[in-house]
Amino acid sequence: MFAKQSRIKHQHNIAGYVFISPWLIGFLLLTLWPILQSLYLSFTQYSLLDSPTWIGSQNYENIFQKDRLFVKSLAVTFTFVLFAVPIKLFFSLMVAMLLNRDIKGMSFYRTLIYFPSLIGGSIAVAALWRNMFGLDGYINHVLGWFGIEGIGWISNPNTALGTLVLLSAWQFGSTMVIFLAGLKQIPKDLYESASVDGAGVLRKFWNITLPMLSPVMFFNLVLGIINAFQMFTSAFVITAGGPANATYMYVLFLYEKAFKQFQMGYASALAWILLLIIAVFTIINFVVSKYWVHYESEGRG
Amino acid sequence: MKAINPWFKLLTTATLVSALVISGCSSNSTESANKSNSGASKSGGSTNIKIMWWGSDQRHEATTKALKLYEEQHAGLTFTPEYTAWDGYWSKLPTLAASGTLPDIMQMDAAYIQSYVKRGLLADLSELDLSEIVDEQVIENVKIDGKLYGVPLSYNGQAMVYNKKAFEQYGITLPHNNWTWEEFFEYAREARTKLPEDVYPIDDLRNIWEWYQFYQTSKGLGPIFKDGKTFNLDKETWFEFNEIYADFQKQGIVPPADLQLYSKENDPQTDSFANGHVILRGSSVGSASAVEALLPEGGEIAVNSYPVGNAGGGWAQSTIFFSVSAKSNNIEQAKQFLKWFISDQEAGKLLATTRGIPINSDVLASIEPNLTSGERLGIDLLEVAKPNALPFYPAPSGAEDFTATYKSEMESVMFGQTTLEQAYETLVEKGKAAESAIQ
Amino acid sequence: MATEAKKAWKSHLILIPFSLLMIYPVIWWIGASFKSTSELSLPTIWPKQWMWENYTEGWTFSSQYTFTTFFANTLMMEFWNVLGGVLTAALVGYGFARLNFKFRNFWFAVLMMTLMLPAQVTVVPQYILYNKLGFVDSYIPLILPHFFGGGAFFIFLVIQFIRGIPRELDEAAQIDGASVYGIFFRITMPLIKPALYTVAIFTFLWSWDDFFSQLLYLSSVEKFTVGLGLRMFIDQFEVQWGQLLAMSLLSVLPSAIIFFLAQKHFVEGIATTGIKG
Repeated sequence: MFAKQSRIKHQHNIAGYVFISPWLIGFLLLTLWPILQSLYLSFTQYSLLDSPTWIGSQNYENIFQKDRLFVKSLAVTFTFVLFAVPIKLFFSLMVAMLLNRDIKGMSFYRTLIYFPSLIGGSIAVAALWRNMFGLDGYINHVLGWFGIEGIGWISNPNTALGTLVLLSAWQFGSTMVIFLAGLKQIPKDLYESASVDGAGVLRKFWNITLPMLSPVMFFNLVLGIINAFQMFTSAFVITAGGPANATYMYVLFLYEKAFKQFQMGYASALAWILLLIIAVFTIINFVVSKYWVHYESEGRG
Repeated sequence: MKAINPWFKLLTTATLVSALVISGCSSNSTESANKSNSGASKSGGSTNIKIMWWGSDQRHEATTKALKLYEEQHAGLTFTPEYTAWDGYWSKLPTLAASGTLPDIMQMDAAYIQSYVKRGLLADLSELDLSEIVDEQVIENVKIDGKLYGVPLSYNGQAMVYNKKAFEQYGITLPHNNWTWEEFFEYAREARTKLPEDVYPIDDLRNIWEWYQFYQTSKGLGPIFKDGKTFNLDKETWFEFNEIYADFQKQGIVPPADLQLYSKENDPQTDSFANGHVILRGSSVGSASAVEALLPEGGEIAVNSYPVGNAGGGWAQSTIFFSVSAKSNNIEQAKQFLKWFISDQEAGKLLATTRGIPINSDVLASIEPNLTSGERLGIDLLEVAKPNALPFYPAPSGAEDFTATYKSEMESVMFGQTTLEQAYETLVEKGKAAESAIQ
Repeated sequence: MATEAKKAWKSHLILIPFSLLMIYPVIWWIGASFKSTSELSLPTIWPKQWMWENYTEGWTFSSQYTFTTFFANTLMMEFWNVLGGVLTAALVGYGFARLNFKFRNFWFAVLMMTLMLPAQVTVVPQYILYNKLGFVDSYIPLILPHFFGGGAFFIFLVIQFIRGIPRELDEAAQIDGASVYGIFFRITMPLIKPALYTVAIFTFLWSWDDFFSQLLYLSSVEKFTVGLGLRMFIDQFEVQWGQLLAMSLLSVLPSAIIFFLAQKHFVEGIATTGIKG
């Protein structure tokens, strides 16, 4: 993960632990136990209402052998990740570059464009999205001008997931802000000297912006995937997994198992399976990152 | 050394800050933690009862006032009330159960109570004498395995509401109470010929398992889980019912699937009854006020019973209770309080209809003059639901997977993604699985 | 100068319609927050009859406490959250990004792992833990993780930013005899300001939104946050839509103002301080 070959050869064992201590202490005292507990619970039958009973790997066997909803929700989630992550990344990078200029009123534009992301999982977003994509919604009104008859985008199994992908793209703000902060960190003189060398816009983007932005890009990619796999709120609030399970995201499935069907043991097993899936993707990301992520601190390659 | 200074400054600040946070809040927290840990603490003859409910702000306000009144009348007794909205309540309660900190008294719903009873979390209240207060039949109806686990608070029931103006405008024969399912379907066919294209006589409720269960039980075939145990989906009846609806969908008698699923009950934006897409639908007594508030200007709501069969139809009984935690140290005090809560006239005036139509008839009589039109509608609904009402059959604890599958499978059928035969097979499989989970 | 002005004009040409497109649903929201329940089903944006009561009655809807209390509670909580979030992310991020210590990769992997497990299954054990510690019905379970243990997302963010900064300055300072602590304070901290502003904003926004933990840990109404207050408009059958939309719009305003004020600081980054890479 971190380059072994650092230009500062010193070990900073004590200082290192001093710096990470806020996280480490909290992890050991507050986070570790619940995590281990959930691992233990994944091998039990646990209704929350009475004490857990050890059942070995029964939950895992049932998930892999019998549960069609496991397959269904995994398929829905993968589809979501596949579309939502790249669309959101691309979109937010483009907007960040658009907003990374010094013109009058920029703070105003930034706030307006960021505003949708502020709404987050608020209850109002459900009403809002139904108004946009509902049968009498805005989208259908616009389509109506072109003589196209609209459908109930949210309540149709073929399009419901698509509206959630769009929602996630609409709320691209946090990714965009991180890009924006990253763009601001690129020294201006790099561009200036490239201009002197006669580089065009595209070449500057390719040779300066992308490599200099790659650590932040990498961050957005890794976290984008992790968050998309754990997508919950909008599926829960807007579609409740329906229609016909078309938006039945994995974590929604897990939540319903835990709190509606009182099968916390089973839900914990589902969670650990998801953890493994996400871990695999993250490890691949870290391995591949060696080839494209450029760290200024680890030397210019 | 010079370089370390700022770091030390920061460290001291951080420690100080965290110390402040912790000490600042802990004075309150230890106090309340004590309350929740012991459920209720008895020290020096004083009793604290923790009580929790969900609901609207009117309910919160009225209930806290009633609690104050009881505190005044009973020296040494105090309440710690806690209240949330409906959806959060059912996530919080299991968490409290898991940490062994259920409140002494908690509001319960008929759809959830069984899960808690099954795990022995609720105290048996059968000993509590409510004979002078609540109709005996009502008590019998809400018993689980012959025991009373929740004191019923109000009447509930299910009947139909329709937009009377629309019926008159289009010259549709008005429905009548205790109509049969055949008459109900016949009404739908007739109304289709008279209504404009985008207005529908009835909803397509194939994805609601309870709706089919009404059909099956009204024909005397029993609920989907007989005695709350045996899987009992009558194949012939089920196919007959769903084929009628499939045919209705083809003929445009019910809304197309995406319009149907777009509609969310009592949501002003999408409810198909509120926005005039559907002119007749079911409503519970509890949601009558909500329905009334939604109706567009100039509309007029009338009530009608559910379709009935030879066994009856619909249901009418209590669905909201106050239950007592089995681990509570104050079960006796809690029982006495609950008895007071549903029968005391003063309390009744304070509480009015914040939990529905009061279960005690004297209390109801005393507040009747002050009812709002929505509440009157609720009473009307109850009146038409009562005569032929069947018992309320909730899904048994353990059948959650079945009911969830029912919904999604039937939605697939409504969109033509699954055939009725395939759906039936899946349902039988899930039903059998639920059956073994229950036993 | 002429070309600069022309460029700016072009930017406006793209930005104005784009902002409008993004903000359209919010405009609907503003309109809807003034509507009565029966008007909500109409597809119009603005109400026929303006219901200012949605705001006035919504603010004081609760018999005992108004939204003033809820806002004050939430802002108090947010103050500590942001402070904790920024401090922890800066310190821990620097430790991981710049210092070589034993088992660094192991601890980093653990840090990442905490992000991957869905919170839905740790929430109950977590609750049991905090209950045993006697912290239930206080803000401690909500604030403490920002100081200790939580915030893996932000730590990783800061790590990535620091790794993007060249080491030459560190090395120069080191030759001058500065310790790692000195380098952290005098060199790295100023350079990662944009990242720390980002951390502050997101900590603010996300803990504002974290409804489920607030629901579990705060039970007395006098401690309710805005998020919990908003839920009180939603009953089993009936939702006070007008008031809900009005109050949830107000609930977003602090975040919007904070964002508006803080986003200026993105502009001052390394780019304007003129440090060469």
